[in-house]
Amino acid sequence: MGDDGDRVGHLQRRPNYAHMAVGLALVTTIVSMHLLLIRGLDLSALVAIIVFNFLFVFLLFPLEGTLHRKTVLLLVGNTVGVLWYIIQLSFTDAFYFLNTETFRVVFLVAKPLIDFVWIVAVWSISLSMLTSYKIKRDVLKKC
Amino acid sequence: MLILSVAFVGLVALITAYLTRHYIFTLAALYHKEPTQQSDETYEPMVSVLIPARNEEQVIERILQRMTELTYPKEKFEVIVVDDASTDRTGEKAKIFAKNHKFIHVIQRDQTEGGSGKQEALNCGLKHVSGELIYCFEADYYPQRDIIEKLTACFKDPKIGAVQGRVTVLNEPDSLVTRLVALERTGGYRVDQFARSELELITQFGGTVGGFRRSLIEQLGGWDPDILAEDTDITFRIYLAGYKIKYVNGADCYEEAVNNWRSYWRQRSRWAKGHMQCAFRHMLPVIRSKNLSLREKVDGLLLLNVYFVPIFAALAWILGAVLLLFQPLAWTNFVWMFVPISFYSSVGNFAPFFEVGIGAYLDGRTRICCLIPLLFLTFLLNVLICTTAFLYLCISKITGKNRHTWTKTVHNGNGSRHI
Repeated sequence: MGDDGDRVGHLQRRPNYAHMAVGLALVTTIVSMHLLLIRGLDLSALVAIIVFNFLFVFLLFPLEGTLHRKTVLLLVGNTVGVLWYIIQLSFTDAFYFLNTETFRVVFLVAKPLIDFVWIVAVWSISLSMLTSYKIKRDVLKKC
Repeated sequence: MLILSVAFVGLVALITAYLTRHYIFTLAALYHKEPTQQSDETYEPMVSVLIPARNEEQVIERILQRMTELTYPKEKFEVIVVDDASTDRTGEKAKIFAKNHKFIHVIQRDQTEGGSGKQEALNCGLKHVSGELIYCFEADYYPQRDIIEKLTACFKDPKIGAVQGRVTVLNEPDSLVTRLVALERTGGYRVDQFARSELELITQFGGTVGGFRRSLIEQLGGWDPDILAEDTDITFRIYLAGYKIKYVNGADCYEEAVNNWRSYWRQRSRWAKGHMQCAFRHMLPVIRSKNLSLREKVDGLLLLNVYFVPIFAALAWILGAVLLLFQPLAWTNFVWMFVPISFYSSVGNFAPFFEVGIGAYLDGRTRICCLIPLLFLTFLLNVLICTTAFLYLCISKITGKNRHTWTKTVHNGNGSRHI
């Protein structure tokens, strides 16, 4: 029943604190880099990146899965975030150049929402990849 | 501007309180050990199953067939189908089962007394039950064979007044709507209900796939026909009476979810109106109650107001935008950035996207996680639904119209393909 077949219930009962610690260190480095190196990053983009990293460290790093996989997913997520921001910036620059006031207002109103689109999408796909890894490992164990 | 700023901060604080609550729920679901629910053969009281049915000819046979397959001893088990003035062959089909199985009974309500809502059908059924425990199932549901044993085991604890099992969507692959409802259910039951039960907060009785002590429901005077969300109403009446509700995650039951946006709108409108009615009715009693602990009171108030949150989130969005346009301050911008987290929430329990995702993870679901960004669509729809429901209730209050029309969800029986 359902598109994934039977639900595979399991009892993951202890957070992986070691992975969380590594994740926290990674995230601190990433956010510091944003603050120090990319000074042009605006407040909303920074908030979005912090929220994404917070969710990743506290809700994905403690789960089952290899540290290697989680780190790659985190780095890919941050790259997507920065790219998302750059695309946004190029659009805003283009429209500012055209001097359309309406766009400025629409963009201002929709900006936080636009910032969150990538967070939810990347976080969900990362979780999906971790889950599939876990299922594959469980199946292999059973075999 | 000062008033707007204060209102904005207040709304964001409220949304943050909900998000924090659900973050705690998510952690609790991840790291609380799931209790292994053992059925106890020494505790097998007489139980009655109530199935209110109105125009359910497409699905009534499926549930009655399933009732015959349940493993609970049949001599301690009865099924009462309340045919609520159906205009189709529901009663006829149920009677065929009653003829072949002694433990199935059919109560026929005619057009003059029936058809006014599920609560009245349940109250009618209540007069005919003989069980010590009463379970309720919808006609479109399909329970596990040993569900009664799993749920009944909880009643050994005298403090437990009601139990709730898990609802899972049967017809999930049918459409985008059913898939999104499945996501909502995952967050709502696997994480939200589980955590509330484990953290000893207010576990919600969902109106179906659950049961109560007969003595308790009689003491409470049955179901209130004036409330559209009879499940939320009975939940709070049980807690206010000093009893608890237990959620049993292992007691699974499949439901046929609404499969198009129109049905989704109608069903959620009824839930929203009913839940808001309950909020108006129970907020003060919850605050004053001596039977509730402080954490139960806080959670109870948050639960009661959950259908107002989409309205608050939309208001916070608009207020933030207005403040930024006319008085752009750094703090407004910073606070405003957090509001969209709440836009990816399932309404009904306000499960944010991360809670839904963790629910899917705990169930070992992979592909369904990819639909999480689409929760934004249901959230937008629910902003409209909740706002309309709120306005409807306000107008009803002003005009003095206290009886509300029960809109029935139509089940087409297509879920049977997935069994």
